[in-house]
Amino acid sequence: MSARPVLKGITVVEAASGLAGPMAGCRLADLGANVVKVEWDDGDWMRQCPPFLKDRTSADFFALNRGKRGVLLGAEPKQRAALLRRLVETADVFITDQDSDGLAALGLEGADAETCAWNPRLIVAQISALGREGPLAGMPGSELGAQAMAGYTRYVGTLGKQSIRLGADVAGASTAIFTTQAVLAALFSRRRTGRGQRVDLSLLNSLVAMKTVHLAAQSDPDSFEGPRVGGAYDPPERGWKTADAPITFAFGGAVGAEGRPGWTQFVEAVGLSRLLEDPRFDKTGRMTTGLGPKARELKGEYEAEFTKRPSAEVIAQVRKFGGFASAYLSHDQLLDEPQVQALEIVRDVPQGDATVRVLDFPVKFSGSKPEVQGQAPRLGEHTQDVTRELGLAEETAARSRA
Amino acid sequence: MAGPLSGLRVVDVSIMAAGPWIGSLLGELGAEVIKVEPPAGDGTRWVEPLQHGMGTNYMCLNVNKRGITLDFKNPGDRNAALDLTATADIFIQNFRGGVIDRLGLGYAAVVARNPRIIYCSVSGFGEAGPLRNEACADFIMQAYSGFARLNGEPGEALEAFRFTGFIDLTTSIVATEGILAALVERENTGKGQKLEVSMLQAALEMQFPRIAEMLGSGEAPRPHGSASAILAPDRGYTTLDGEVFVTVHTPAEWHGFCAAIERPDLAADARFDSNPQRVANREALDAVVAPLIAARPSIWWMRAFQRRKVPCALSHNFEQLRYHAQIRDNGMAPVVHTRDWGDVVVGGLPWHFSATPGEVLPPPIPGADTAAVLEELARHKAATSGVESA
Repeated sequence: MSARPVLKGITVVEAASGLAGPMAGCRLADLGANVVKVEWDDGDWMRQCPPFLKDRTSADFFALNRGKRGVLLGAEPKQRAALLRRLVETADVFITDQDSDGLAALGLEGADAETCAWNPRLIVAQISALGREGPLAGMPGSELGAQAMAGYTRYVGTLGKQSIRLGADVAGASTAIFTTQAVLAALFSRRRTGRGQRVDLSLLNSLVAMKTVHLAAQSDPDSFEGPRVGGAYDPPERGWKTADAPITFAFGGAVGAEGRPGWTQFVEAVGLSRLLEDPRFDKTGRMTTGLGPKARELKGEYEAEFTKRPSAEVIAQVRKFGGFASAYLSHDQLLDEPQVQALEIVRDVPQGDATVRVLDFPVKFSGSKPEVQGQAPRLGEHTQDVTRELGLAEETAARSRA
Repeated sequence: MAGPLSGLRVVDVSIMAAGPWIGSLLGELGAEVIKVEPPAGDGTRWVEPLQHGMGTNYMCLNVNKRGITLDFKNPGDRNAALDLTATADIFIQNFRGGVIDRLGLGYAAVVARNPRIIYCSVSGFGEAGPLRNEACADFIMQAYSGFARLNGEPGEALEAFRFTGFIDLTTSIVATEGILAALVERENTGKGQKLEVSMLQAALEMQFPRIAEMLGSGEAPRPHGSASAILAPDRGYTTLDGEVFVTVHTPAEWHGFCAAIERPDLAADARFDSNPQRVANREALDAVVAPLIAARPSIWWMRAFQRRKVPCALSHNFEQLRYHAQIRDNGMAPVVHTRDWGDVVVGGLPWHFSATPGEVLPPPIPGADTAAVLEELARHKAATSGVESA
C-alpha cells in the first residue's frame, strides 16, 4: 500500500547508551527514520558487552544499533557543543539518557524544556533510571536496580534465599517500547499542533506501569488467593512434570464466571477420571490448572498420570479439548519450531561482509512495511559525513577512530 | 490536559488482559475508548483476587474506558457493533483465530465501512503457522517463548515468573507501538490498515538482548541467578542484614565500585580491567567482592556506592513501593477511585508528555454506558445518513 516507509524524512538523534534508548532508536530506524547515534569518549558501554560477532562487534550492540549512522564527538567541549547543537537543531526527535546537567555539559542547554526554544518542533524523549522528579532524580540506576526496586525480583527464586533476577532485561526493553510509543504519539500530536514537546520516561516507571495487575491485586483484596497476591511467597514455579519435559497448561477462564467446558473430557482422556469425583477439583479446571488458586497444591494429582506420558501427548490432549498448553522450550527448540518459521520472526541483515540474524519488527502490518536494517556503526564511522552534511568545518569533529 | 490522541475513538471488543490493556494505554494517551463486553462478561471480573466483589484485573486492565454490553449473536447488537466501528479510528480484538470473521466483525467487514480504521488483531501465536488458532495465556507464552528459560540459579534449567500478566502486558505495549506507527502512517496516506500482534513476537521483543546474543554467537542463553549475562559486576550481594543490588556499566563506575569497597588495587588488576575481562573472570571477582560486602549492612553499601555514583538499589515489597517518595513524586502508582469497589492502586502513565500529558481515569461499571453510547450512535447515524460514503 505505502511506497515510502512510515518515518521517511524524520531525523532522530540518539545520545543514549545501553538498551532502552538504542532499542527505541533501532525500531524507529526500522520504520524508516534517519537515525544518527552520537557518542563521546569510549562510546556506548554496550560496545563492551559479550558475546562478540566474528568482526568483534558486540552482538547486543550490533542488534541495537544496526541501521544507524555513528558520530563521535571530539574531546574539546566547544567542538562537541558546535556539532551536537547543530545536529539537534535540525532534528525532529532527540532521544537521550542524559539529565539536564548532562545536556548542558554537552552544549544542549534547554533541549529538555517543555518545548525546546531553539527547535520548537523538536520531540525530546528523556530517559532516566528513576524518574525526573523525587529524591532519587538524577541518581544512576540499572536494569537490576529497577527490577529490585519495582519488586520484580521477589517473584522469582525462593523466599529467604539470595535473590535472582529476571533473565530478560525487562526494564530496558519495556522502556524502549514506551519510548518508541512516546516518539510516535508526539509526532502524531505535532502534525496537529506544529509543536514538539519533551516526554519523560524511566526504567523504574516502566516496570511499575507493567506491574498494574499486582498493584491492583494488593490494593485491598477480599481474600488472599492465587498468585497475584501470593506469588512473592510461593516456591519456584516449574510447571507440571511429564515423562520427558515439564509443561504448563490451563482450562477455564476467558468468558464469564466459569469459562469454557473441556476439562472433564480432558481428565478422562488422560486417565484421571477419578478427579471428577474429587471434591477438591471444580469441574471446569479453572481453580486447579494454570494460575488457579488451588493449582500449586494439587499439582501432584495431575502429575501422577502426566509422568506416564510424553509432554507432546499431554499438550495435544489439552489442546484437543480447548485448553491452553506448552512445554518450556529452550531457545534452540523455539527457533526450530514450525510456528516461528511460519511467522518469519527472524530475518537476515548484513554486518560488514557477513550476515547476522535479528528479530523482525514485532508487529505485522498489512500496509506499512518496516524493514530491519543491518550495519551497526563503528565508533565515529560517520562523523565526517554527518559534519559535512551539516555544513560544518571538518575540524569541528573528531576524526573517526575506525 | 488532553493527551496526544485526544479526539480519537477506540472500539475495544477484547477480553482478559493482552487486548484490554491496549485500550487503556490509548485512553491514557487521550483517546475515547469504548469497551464492548459480551453478556457473560469479561472473565477478568472473576479472576482472583476480587476487591468488593470485582476482579482487580478487570479494574486495572480497563482504566480510561466506557463500558457497554453487546451480544454479537444477536443481529441487532452485531449491527450496532459494526456501526460503532464505522465511527472509530482504532479497533481491538483478541478472539481465537477465525472467530471474529464468524461474528461479522472481521477486517474485511470493518474496513469496507471505514477505510481509515486501524484494526488491531491480537493472538497468542500469530495468524499463520500450525498454532495460529491456539489460544494462549501469559504463563503459556512464558514457557513457549523461552522467557522462563532465562530465570533461575546457575545450572538450573528454568523458572517461571510468578508475576502474572507480564507477557500479556508486553503484548499490549507492542500492540500500542504498532497502532501509533499506523496512526502516523495514516497521516501520510489517509488510510488505515490491519495489524497482527502476537504474544509470541511480543515475548521475543521483551527478550531482545538475550535473543541478539544467541543469534550472534549461536549459544543459547541460560540462567545466571541474580547476575547479568553481559556485565560484571552486576548482581545482588548478601550484606550483613540483607541484600544490595549493584551494577557497573562503565570504566568510571568500575573505578567507583573499587573505591567504594576500599579495594582500589582491583582497578589495576589485569583480570578485571575491562567489562569482557570481568565477565570472563566473574567468579574470581566475586571471590574477592562477596565477603567484603557481606561484612557490612545494606545501608552502608548504599551510601558508599551512591557517593561514588555507582548504580545500587534495595528490593521493595508492595507496602514499601506504594509509599516510596520516588514512586509517589513521579506518579508511578496512582490511586483510582471507583464508584462501587473502593480505591484501587494501578500502574501510572509510563510516559510523561510535557504539552499533552494525558491522565489515568477509572474503569467502567460493566455495561453502564450502553444506552448512552447507542443513543450517540443513533444521533450520529441520523446526522450522517446518506453521506457516509467517504
